[in-house]
Amino acid sequence: MIRQLTTGELTVALIASYLWRGLAYGLVIGLAGVGLSLTYDLLDFANFAHGDYITISAFVGWGVAYLVAGFGQFSPGSLLFLGVGGTVYPQDVGISVTAAPVAILVGLIIAALVGALLAVALDSAVYKSMRGAGNITLLIASVGVAFVLRYAAVFLFTQQTFGLTADSWSYEIGLPGGAVRITSASLLLIIVALVMMIAIHLLLTRTKLGKAMRAMGANQQLARVTGIPSEKIVRRTWLIGGALAGIAGFMIALLQGTINYQIGWTLLLLVFAGVIMGGIGSVYGAIVGGILVGLITRVSLIWIPASFTEATGFAVMILILLTRPAGIFGGDAT
Amino acid sequence: MSILDVTSLDAGYGDLQVLFDVDLHVDAGEYVTIVGPNGAGKSTVMKSIFGLTHHMDGSIVYRGTNIEANDPEENVHEGLAYVPQSDNVFPPLSVRENLEMGAYILDEVPEDALQSVFDRFPILEERQQQKAGSMSGGQRQMLAMGRALMLDPALILLDEPSAGLAPDLVDEMFDNIDRIVESGTAVLMVEQNAKEALSRCDRGYVLVNGENRYSDDGETLLGDEQIRREFLGG
Repeated sequence: MIRQLTTGELTVALIASYLWRGLAYGLVIGLAGVGLSLTYDLLDFANFAHGDYITISAFVGWGVAYLVAGFGQFSPGSLLFLGVGGTVYPQDVGISVTAAPVAILVGLIIAALVGALLAVALDSAVYKSMRGAGNITLLIASVGVAFVLRYAAVFLFTQQTFGLTADSWSYEIGLPGGAVRITSASLLLIIVALVMMIAIHLLLTRTKLGKAMRAMGANQQLARVTGIPSEKIVRRTWLIGGALAGIAGFMIALLQGTINYQIGWTLLLLVFAGVIMGGIGSVYGAIVGGILVGLITRVSLIWIPASFTEATGFAVMILILLTRPAGIFGGDAT
Repeated sequence: MSILDVTSLDAGYGDLQVLFDVDLHVDAGEYVTIVGPNGAGKSTVMKSIFGLTHHMDGSIVYRGTNIEANDPEENVHEGLAYVPQSDNVFPPLSVRENLEMGAYILDEVPEDALQSVFDRFPILEERQQQKAGSMSGGQRQMLAMGRALMLDPALILLDEPSAGLAPDLVDEMFDNIDRIVESGTAVLMVEQNAKEALSRCDRGYVLVNGENRYSDDGETLLGDEQIRREFLGG
């Protein structure tokens, strides 16, 4: 690396821009991981449908964002379905963080709401009746839920990959050998993710709900005899985890500038890598693990072809688990 | 006047019946102990009263209300408290947070109850920010009792409070229980350390194979040659 730097094959600017993109990517992975980790902590259940909560809420959120941005100019149906079949294009709607901030904000909120409601609805419809049936039953059921949701997305939005945003403002920071481009999308993502993570931290440490969530995660049986209403806490945990999945989904689509029915599923593998690296069940582990996975997969692009990035993330995960089998924050839940 | 009346209780886990026709009662402010050999079902009695086992037959009346069909959460609302034998604190939560959880069903943390727990166990006040998981066994046991006292229950169920404690801490633990009784809270306790428990309590039951074999005041049971020989190890 030092040789590459001195010979000019690798510039400071290039490394910095990979780091910046890695940070943005990692924060979105961490955000999605928080929800996964919370439900794992409370229910001992690795929810494989989490990625498809991300997909569905991202699609609905972006549909609403399009509707807000292009209302009156295009048919509402075309807008809500992101112009499926080539009826509306992002350049026509002119949607971007700087050109249509209200649309983006409304879309983000809707994505959070959809994620929250979806998570609670699926819990009471599917998972609730299976509590106590064992983790494997729940896990397989969640794989089923994942497929149902994924192909619901295909049914509504087809298998097309949609371009989402028009060009928008970006800022370039000059560094030796080039410049780092700070896009408005990555900037917004980093702000939103940091705010949400601080909010989660405050929730877990300052509120009664958060403390009860940690108590339940630590010892279900004792939580019951203490009078903590388990089902109510579980429902609220799904609500929070689902909302974070929705926000992560909207944000990853914004960051990539594209969306398709596999967006959440593709992300989920990395989310799992981050959550396991951080120590499954630990919220802080999920955040740190997510950021690490983001940084590793992006920075590795310097040496490794893009098609191998996910493998790199998992390779590092395995290396960390070899030295710390319970993950970085393992053993100490939440 | 009795606050807890257990009549002809049959209970167990799934299809496995552990308790057969158990009768017991606790008066207001009374200190009652259940002793007996390992596997007699002592802890099962506690769990059954609190709604943690499969109730098969018989009645449990607490302060005039039938509670045999209650789940644990409902029993907390009825003013009954239970301290399990092991894993009775939330390790990742601080001492203070553990105590706050004890008052979960209230809208606000009751400051006076918190203060009286701190007065009772000053070590908990000193260490209120420390994680419960990093405390010693004796301190955890105090925290578990403190948690149960947060709602000022009329009756507290203690499942083997001396289990796992170093010998020099056992006396201190029993002294703490004496003080809980002195302050007016009734105690129903299961104990392995039968001699110590019977010498301190008002009344005792000897449970064998899931059935009540003897019941009398503690000193009498302790003085009974046959009971000493068969169940209390001489």
